[in-house]
Amino acid sequence: MPDRALEGVKVLDLTHHISGPYCTKLLADFGAEVLKIERPGGDPTRRMAPFLNDEVDPEKSLVFAYLNTNKQSVTLNLKSAKGIQVLKSLVEQSDVLVENFAPRVMASLGLDFEALQQINPSLVMTSISNFGQTGPYRDYKAADIVEYAMGGLMYISGAYDREPLKHAFNQAQFKAGTDAASATLMAMYHQRLTGEGQQVDVSIQEAVATGLRDVVNNFTYTGAVRRRQPNHSGDLSRIRASADGHLTPNPGIGAGLNWDVLVEFMELPELADDKFNTPSARLANAEELGQIFDDYFINQNKYERFYAAHEKRFIFGVIQSPEEVMADPQFEARNYFVDIDHPVLGTLKYPGAPFEMSGTPWDARNPAPTLGQHNVKIFGQRLGHTPEQLVQFRATQII
Amino acid sequence: MPGPLEGVRIIEMGQLIAIPFAMKMLADMGAQVIRLESTGRLESYRADSVYQNDVSGEFWNKGANFYEQNRNKLGVTLDLSKPEGLQILKDLVSVADVFSENFTPRVIKNFGLEYEDLKKIKPDIIMVSSTGYGFYGPWANFGATGPATEGAAGLAYQTGYLGGEPVMAEIPYTDYTSGEHTVFAVMTALMHRLRTGEGQFVDISQTQATSSTIPEILMDFSANGRTGPRMGNQDSVMSPQGCYPCRGDDRWLTMAVATDEEWQAVCRVLGQDGWASDSRFEDSLSRWQNRDELDALIGPVTSSWDAHELMHALQKEGVAAGAVLDSKDLLFDPHLVERDFYEVVSHQDSTGIPPLPYASRPWKLSKTPAVKGKAAPLMGEHNSLILSELLGKTTGDVAALEEAGIIGYGPSDPRPVRRPSLDEQVRQGRMQRYETDFEEQVRRAFPG
Repeated sequence: MPDRALEGVKVLDLTHHISGPYCTKLLADFGAEVLKIERPGGDPTRRMAPFLNDEVDPEKSLVFAYLNTNKQSVTLNLKSAKGIQVLKSLVEQSDVLVENFAPRVMASLGLDFEALQQINPSLVMTSISNFGQTGPYRDYKAADIVEYAMGGLMYISGAYDREPLKHAFNQAQFKAGTDAASATLMAMYHQRLTGEGQQVDVSIQEAVATGLRDVVNNFTYTGAVRRRQPNHSGDLSRIRASADGHLTPNPGIGAGLNWDVLVEFMELPELADDKFNTPSARLANAEELGQIFDDYFINQNKYERFYAAHEKRFIFGVIQSPEEVMADPQFEARNYFVDIDHPVLGTLKYPGAPFEMSGTPWDARNPAPTLGQHNVKIFGQRLGHTPEQLVQFRATQII
Repeated sequence: MPGPLEGVRIIEMGQLIAIPFAMKMLADMGAQVIRLESTGRLESYRADSVYQNDVSGEFWNKGANFYEQNRNKLGVTLDLSKPEGLQILKDLVSVADVFSENFTPRVIKNFGLEYEDLKKIKPDIIMVSSTGYGFYGPWANFGATGPATEGAAGLAYQTGYLGGEPVMAEIPYTDYTSGEHTVFAVMTALMHRLRTGEGQFVDISQTQATSSTIPEILMDFSANGRTGPRMGNQDSVMSPQGCYPCRGDDRWLTMAVATDEEWQAVCRVLGQDGWASDSRFEDSLSRWQNRDELDALIGPVTSSWDAHELMHALQKEGVAAGAVLDSKDLLFDPHLVERDFYEVVSHQDSTGIPPLPYASRPWKLSKTPAVKGKAAPLMGEHNSLILSELLGKTTGDVAALEEAGIIGYGPSDPRPVRRPSLDEQVRQGRMQRYETDFEEQVRRAFPG
């Protein structure tokens, strides 16, 4: 069996919903040992649609199944003193604790960093929250749409004369989860070198606000406040409708683009004009150029133009539906979608490696755990509680 | 306080965002990142969005996006089309931990810079390639920008107004998604190397990284064969969720209501007793079923509110609400400012750019926070430093390299992108407005 990159990194996962579970999924899928602590009713993501065949069942949430591959699950009631005691004994044996409760929660459970550090001085504690662990909005509530708005991405997204629009589903949470995984490993790198633990504070708002272009710096460099762009903004990479869907016929970047070749490729002699043949000219005559592009592409087939453009090294893109994504020959050649067998869901195709590593490949060796699947293994075998004690735990709703 | 990555040396052959953004994050955390550039093929972020729209003089040292993406790096110019230039790159790799690049595989193969080549020079090198579609496969050599991979990944298809066409972000969104995954990938490879001493090749497909963040879409199709509608700002279960107009020009508030208590709080704050007792909205299922009616009722009521005041009023009652921040709001957001999210960076005197705030990082590490921010390099700023200190070249060697055009300090063909005037950009709708006293406003809020 090939080596796994994060072999030996022990993660105690107190996360729920999306940002935290994506962080620990990244760690688990590259070899960390992730122990997921679920409240007795389970991670709320278990109740999140879509479900297999629309059957609402804690073991049939497809998003849960995706987000929790390669993890082990135990249930633990953190509102009981015994539950806290059990958790602390797990902290002793861990390198990392990841949580994404509201900022007050861990302290209210007596599980703030100072307390945990006394148990385990080399612990890395990563906290993901809507607005971070400090600051005036610390306790504000949020959903993905609120993070989009407060992170600065929403104001510039959507139609010029309509309300701002967010990306589909939960992009802000995924960004923060990825950032949290990176920051956790930075702290782990330091821990492996020095033995020293530390606290990592990840803000979802800041995860969005870190990934912007021409927004804050438009103001600091020119005093301008950017708005959602009108249809013909001079941005040639905008979506154009084709006869069979949509594509982004971006001919190239900046001054590197050979305009004459493009004119020949599109067979549109009216583009061979001083109005369009430099980046500056295209910006000045954006509306006219945009209209020419629209009128042309509406009669084209998107994949035909996509492949033909790449022969000329134009960086056209296609807008693919989920069905087209799953049939994409590039993904197929790279075996991106992988079959994972789950005891309740059966075998399904899942999105696979976000990137490939030659020496320590991504590996979905285990499906998402069923609720409390590893209670006996962890509480019994690892912590040494007897079968009688486990019955007692169950009877008193500690697990 | 040093960053956690002190002692890690990275050679970056990056362009635009995907790799430069990721390497900036690592540079912030203490890695020494040496960014290579070509004088013959000018990085377009050096030539665009320049300070005060002033493209006179050395405009290539004034580009906003270049400064945004290249903080804390050292800059070296190299002409890789000449054998001597390519040899210097290889010499740098021989003393590096990581080599990262985001060109098409065709370019990398032509230069003889594949992992197998570099491994011979430095057996434990970590090589990171970030490409639109991945380093191998039938689309491997297809160039890509953010919009192309946002489309290929399936994200753009699902994003859009109710009943409308697909919409994508107006920034190269997936450059960031993949860049975030690249930071994680480098850290994963470094952790492995720390334990085993082994390097490896990391192949980042910007499309794959993005598809990995939309299981709601891809798992539903995979398991149920279903493709859902574009939902605008609505949620698939909860209502109301949306973006509602507020007082002023182009001002908006977002709100997401999860429970009956929160809904009652919304009715209270907005003074709508009638909604609170309306059976169409009494529980989450009925609110969701009647969500279009509900959205149509809410907008006219919020439009008399100031977006920030309404946000605070709703949050006080436990409702998730947020003003839609424009670029100025975001810069001066009291919460972000209080958290020191923006870091003031001083620019080299020759640029004429005053110290400016830049977005820092989405994480705070308590013991090893980050290094102090230094501006992105001028073109060729660290040529002598790197060539002499790292590779042992003499002053005479460096002068000869400059004479031969292997290194340089400005573009061989200096052509800036001329943006229309700000008045014209406002007229065209690209900018909402501009403020002439912006320098004073920035200086007052971020004294540095």
